[in-house]
Amino acid sequence: MRIFSFIFLLLLPAVVFCQNGSFSSFTGDESKFYAQTKQVNQFFRRFNAEEDVKGKRTYTGDSIYRDLKSRKKYLNILFDTYSSAVSTEDRNSFIEQVTNKKSPVFLDFHGSDWFSEVTASFIYKHEKVDIILYMKIEKQNNGYKWVFSNVYLSRFNELFSHVGDTTNLKLFLHPLSHEVDFMNIHKVFAEPDKMDYYLDRYYRPDQLALFVSEIKNGNLKFESVKEVKFHFLQIPGWYFEVSYFNRNSNNSGWLISNMLKINEKDKKELLRNYIHEN
Amino acid sequence: MKIRSSIIGLICLLIMTSGLFAQNKDENISPQRKQAIDSLALEKVRDLSKYISIIGNKSTPWSESQRVIERAVELFMENSEIGVSSLSKPDVAYFKVREYFDRLMKLNYDRVNIDWYKIQYVSDLERQPDGTYVGVITIYQRFQGFDKEKGLIYEDTTKKDITVYVKRKETQIGGRLIGFWDVLLGDIRVKETSK
Repeated sequence: MRIFSFIFLLLLPAVVFCQNGSFSSFTGDESKFYAQTKQVNQFFRRFNAEEDVKGKRTYTGDSIYRDLKSRKKYLNILFDTYSSAVSTEDRNSFIEQVTNKKSPVFLDFHGSDWFSEVTASFIYKHEKVDIILYMKIEKQNNGYKWVFSNVYLSRFNELFSHVGDTTNLKLFLHPLSHEVDFMNIHKVFAEPDKMDYYLDRYYRPDQLALFVSEIKNGNLKFESVKEVKFHFLQIPGWYFEVSYFNRNSNNSGWLISNMLKINEKDKKELLRNYIHEN
Repeated sequence: MKIRSSIIGLICLLIMTSGLFAQNKDENISPQRKQAIDSLALEKVRDLSKYISIIGNKSTPWSESQRVIERAVELFMENSEIGVSSLSKPDVAYFKVREYFDRLMKLNYDRVNIDWYKIQYVSDLERQPDGTYVGVITIYQRFQGFDKEKGLIYEDTTKKDITVYVKRKETQIGGRLIGFWDVLLGDIRVKETSK
């Protein structure tokens, strides 16, 4: 449960070129760009050892495709080494598990159990706000697309802050209200900010529904994407987060920024909360 | 002569790629096809790089810049945008492709250098629900802006993640229907890299 709460907190919040009319290639130091995990696609390929050292895709039948030694090397460079968020012990244990000779584990772009967390700024009723958008990959026909699976805005949560409250002894509809055709129901609507006292205590608000409603009503206007992260739960017994590190270093680009051992029950709960996956 | 060789080149490319792609439209793209499509996509990205350098070059006459902007815009799908952010301004500013090129042409420097790193990274091609494919090519650019008196006054290196759309099309050559893959550029994310 502690782990789950921790994750919950984590989640909240070619080559000819022109210069002065003549074509020339630039001979600047490119080593850091080669080392950098430049795309999320490259994160997948490196994780699975599905490309060579120059970034060229390899396929089944190629000698180095999913090669165990290459995988171990790649996996080691896929961690943010500037942070101590992931212990050496966890890192080694994780690498050991996914590169197990008998049952290696690979990431699957088209698979379930991974999603993106996009922090975007919006104007909500004339005020700038950050909204977290949870996105997942969905299959349609024989292709794929990203879809919104959930959103988080603290303002939406505040609207339901009294759901499940059992201490209030004034704001309720008495148990014989039905006998008078609920003629007393008007008092619920007389104080709109207290309406959430009258809801089913187990009701869980659907923020995505509120989000769509506010967008359609013109109250919420998109401004810009601020940050993108990815959360992976595809590896049995593990959760990890991938973030972009923009720094002048070989250890840059899309890297594992957080990692936790997690049991399958907590994983399911997490996925249910964030991307409504059953 | 140049136009003639371009046409011959295009026909050769059509024939070459049609042989590779004249199979079931719905099947996955094989590694060989992927390589051929990557080459086509990289060709477009090279053209774009060349055009950016010409448009940004202060010695390019206005009329020539306009002509090159037209050519550059033709590389893109309609309504494509360029999203730019810098280290000092992390919020993404979105520009229509033509607007981006116009701004590039009007940059207030006496001289600019636009250089391209040799590295290029090509993603896998992913099929979209409409049956077309999409990929992303990453390239890096170094920009330097000079002032007559002060010399180098601005410098940055940007990572450009360029969306590439790949669509199967058909054309008639000599009465024969030939299938080929057409490549168009889409949205570009331009991100300043750390110094």
